[in-house]
Amino acid sequence: MSVLEKVRTEPADPADRARERRLTDQHGRRVHVGELLWRYVLLLAVLALTVGPFLWQLSTSLKGPTEDIYSSPPSFLPGHPTLHNYTRVADTIPVWDYALNSLKVAAANVVTNCVGSALAGYALARLRYRGRGATTLVFVLAMLVPVEGIVIAQFTTMRELGLNNTLIGVVLPGAIGAMNVLLMRNAFRNLPYEIEEAAYVDGANVWQRFRRIALPSVKGTLAVVAIFAFMGAWDDFLWPLIVLSDPSKFTLTIGLNYLHGTFANDERLVAAGTVIAVAPLIALFACLQRYFFRGVGEGAVKG
Amino acid sequence: MPISRRALAAAVAALLLPLSACGSGDDGGAGSTDASGKVEGDITFQTWNLRANFKSYFEGLIADFEHKYPGAHVKWVDQPAEGYPDKLSADAGGGTLPDVVNVSPDLVAPLAKAGLAMDLDKAAAKYKSEYLDGAWAGHQVPGLSGTYAFPWYLNTGPLFYNKSLFEKAGLDADRPPKTYDDLFADALQLAKKSGGKVATLANVPTIEDFGRYGVPLMNKQGTAFAFNNTKGIELLTKYKELYDAKALDPQALTATPESSGKKFLTGAVAMNPGSALDLGNFKKNAPGLYKNIGITDQITSTGHVNMYVMGLMVNSRTKHTPAAVAFAHFVTDAQNQMSFAKKVAIFPSTAGSLDDPYFTKQDGTDETRVRVAAAKSLKTAVNYTPVLFSDQMKTALRNEVAKALQGKQSPKAALDNAVKAADRLLQQG
Amino acid sequence: MATPTAATRIRRQLRTSPWLFAAPGLLVTGAFVLYPFVSTLVNSFTDRRTLLPGHFVGLANFRELLHDDMFWTGLRNSTLYVLCVVPALVVLPLLLALLVQKNIPGITFFRSAFYTPVVASIVVVGLIWVWLLDERGLVNALLETVGIGRVGFLSDQWLLLLSAMAVTVWKGLGYYMIIYLAALANVPRELHEAAAVDGAGAVRRFFSVTLPAVRSTMVLVAALSSVAAFKVFSEVYLMAGPSGGPAGEDTTLVMLVQRTGTGLTGRVGYASALSVVVFVVTVALMLLVLRADRKEEA
Repeated sequence: MSVLEKVRTEPADPADRARERRLTDQHGRRVHVGELLWRYVLLLAVLALTVGPFLWQLSTSLKGPTEDIYSSPPSFLPGHPTLHNYTRVADTIPVWDYALNSLKVAAANVVTNCVGSALAGYALARLRYRGRGATTLVFVLAMLVPVEGIVIAQFTTMRELGLNNTLIGVVLPGAIGAMNVLLMRNAFRNLPYEIEEAAYVDGANVWQRFRRIALPSVKGTLAVVAIFAFMGAWDDFLWPLIVLSDPSKFTLTIGLNYLHGTFANDERLVAAGTVIAVAPLIALFACLQRYFFRGVGEGAVKG
Repeated sequence: MPISRRALAAAVAALLLPLSACGSGDDGGAGSTDASGKVEGDITFQTWNLRANFKSYFEGLIADFEHKYPGAHVKWVDQPAEGYPDKLSADAGGGTLPDVVNVSPDLVAPLAKAGLAMDLDKAAAKYKSEYLDGAWAGHQVPGLSGTYAFPWYLNTGPLFYNKSLFEKAGLDADRPPKTYDDLFADALQLAKKSGGKVATLANVPTIEDFGRYGVPLMNKQGTAFAFNNTKGIELLTKYKELYDAKALDPQALTATPESSGKKFLTGAVAMNPGSALDLGNFKKNAPGLYKNIGITDQITSTGHVNMYVMGLMVNSRTKHTPAAVAFAHFVTDAQNQMSFAKKVAIFPSTAGSLDDPYFTKQDGTDETRVRVAAAKSLKTAVNYTPVLFSDQMKTALRNEVAKALQGKQSPKAALDNAVKAADRLLQQG
Repeated sequence: MATPTAATRIRRQLRTSPWLFAAPGLLVTGAFVLYPFVSTLVNSFTDRRTLLPGHFVGLANFRELLHDDMFWTGLRNSTLYVLCVVPALVVLPLLLALLVQKNIPGITFFRSAFYTPVVASIVVVGLIWVWLLDERGLVNALLETVGIGRVGFLSDQWLLLLSAMAVTVWKGLGYYMIIYLAALANVPRELHEAAAVDGAGAVRRFFSVTLPAVRSTMVLVAALSSVAAFKVFSEVYLMAGPSGGPAGEDTTLVMLVQRTGTGLTGRVGYASALSVVVFVVTVALMLLVLRADRKEEA
């Protein structure tokens, strides 16, 4: 059940609905104007806290070299907005090539995570077999391993497979995240058995039941997994740095690190770099947020 | 989620199974140290954060080399500044180290100990005379015989100071401090006159500061550290005094080279070490400061300024020893170092290069003045940081020093602890 | 609920397919997470260095831990992190969820906007906050404007740790808010109405209706956030720097793992022992989740 859908579909009394369609709470009660006012005040305050820092970064990145970015009281809007800092970023590093590599890695990561964790999650939730407890335990343990301690061992494994310095090598360790498998397991577990029962009677085999019935019912959770996978791949720094040697294969985070290493004193340039790094994520989230909130409603994040 | 004992056993088995495949790495067939064969084959060349600014220089360099040796092909890779040691250790452990690698002496030491760096006294002894003696010796590792990298560029620089801050504190802006005593006295006055708003130093003392102050860092045999002697304690006690008076920036304990540079730019700190490269930065980012910039020599008690040394190491397991050695030599030869030096404010490590008019003749600009002074001081400069002083030791020293500055322990106790920690790490390494 | 026979029949079908379904996940996890971790476990009993093979040293690494001041500093900071961050992440997102629960105009926008910090990469978040809390950054400029004066957020040991915690909470708010929203949606509205009829005010209803209904979710959030808080690395590393703030006093356990174990002179053996300690503590924290999970199922 989706949070939003539940919230949206609930204004109960149809007669009331037309008159004050949206000024009601989730129980269909009328919201007082005074209450409405302080709610908006609070909402705006939290908005300033959560989104403000990003806007400040955007504003810094648009300020020209002559504008004082340290002034007190601060100037929130750039006096003469300029894209000059973004051009400089592109001049310094092949930012679009790196972004393309990041996109490839992130897209592959989304596909492998969605497919792999849906399959494994389905097995854990729906199929009865010897060793299921152990399989679950494997994924739970994997979630608890502190990644910072095992990077070198991961690299050694990758080299033995001959996959170092390839984008495949970047994708593989996170290709099927344990957390995602457990998320999918919970989503499948929350589906009633009756749904599959009918298909079973019709003679559908495991694969058909999985593909045609179970999977479409957990689209929301898949969206959650997709977003997590995309974020994780887009963000990662240490692993791509270690596994890649060839600059033509570098990802965006490594590129941004060049920027930070070379122009640490230039807040405007670093700000432009961070905006380039974060904007695609926000755009992706804006597109997928509807599915995302629904996925959360499915109980995806319940232990 | 109930977990049966059998399931647990299965899990343990699943966990342990891959262990059988646990190999301790490879040997990959050690390359020979005989560099006399034909220069040919594909080699990889790795630099450290040089692509962003010097792409065309290196591409030209490689083209020249390939033109000279048609059978050889060089692939250039550059790594970002951050995480470079991690990158090297992953490659070294995985047997994927490039053939020619940009290193500094502290990076080459562990690689040499692991047998991954080629001994150039064996493979390239004939080139030794082309380099400054001190630079060639820069990549020797105590406890091992041999030299493990070609010297590449050197760097050193003057001390910049903010003249207007000096004047405001009633100091003669044309007579910057020349000795440590002057420095400490001026720093205290600057802090006092500005009510603690202007610090003179932005960083806590590092191992090179102890060296420059004349503290013997290691014992004669190079087997143990010794900077916890009276001279070392004297320096740290002085810094504590400065810290208490806010003459050492209160944020020095968390400072990075970038943050202290920024503080100098904004006038919160009166002095900052730097290089000719910084002048351009001042001109662009702080024109007000640039008008008031003062330039003076590094302060030392030893008469030898500190220098940083970069080198090119040849992977001992390279499959193309002649090509790798030839290329490392090519990059570091007098002509190519000279043209690199003219692109950026660094100094060549080849013998005689520093006598070039570029490094000796004034032309009236500040850049040239800084360059000429630095080149002159380089002839006697020392890389104070001991080759065996690892990152872990640097952190230990930094933390103990910080505790002393905060007054949590005496300077003596701090240095005793730091020496103890460093010695322990040294013995384990 | 399906009849038991239906469930059982579905479950019984096919012996091999479960393994086929789980195989990709098991392979990847086994090869790139568990196998490296097992070698970490093995290494924790050796004196292995990055480039030098190790020898078996028994429990020497673990004994050394007990005498390592930095270990205790790390343990203190990681524990403090759990103690401070977890209550904030259990309470604040719940209040936020209550705030965005009402279906008033524009609320979808607010919900999504509050989630933005979760979406942004931690490196970007670190850069943004370092710039905000800089001595000459926005926060200090504002503080100075209102006459409080500048505060050294990034230079004082405790302020640094506090700032890092604030960033963790800031980044986690939206994430846990969503979890609470899901739980709140499942609270039967009859309960609220009955309480309202009884004359209970908003505050009373919160304590007598809402709170009991989301209690199991609170336990879950507490467990999830404490596992994450104990393993904290990025926030502190980015704000306090690699050496962990003044005199390394802000070092967390995972930072210590990273610092001792990486680089060319890394003490892989000792760092592995530290990793094992971190692992054991997080397993203990995770047991909380499993218990809560079981309680929910019952």
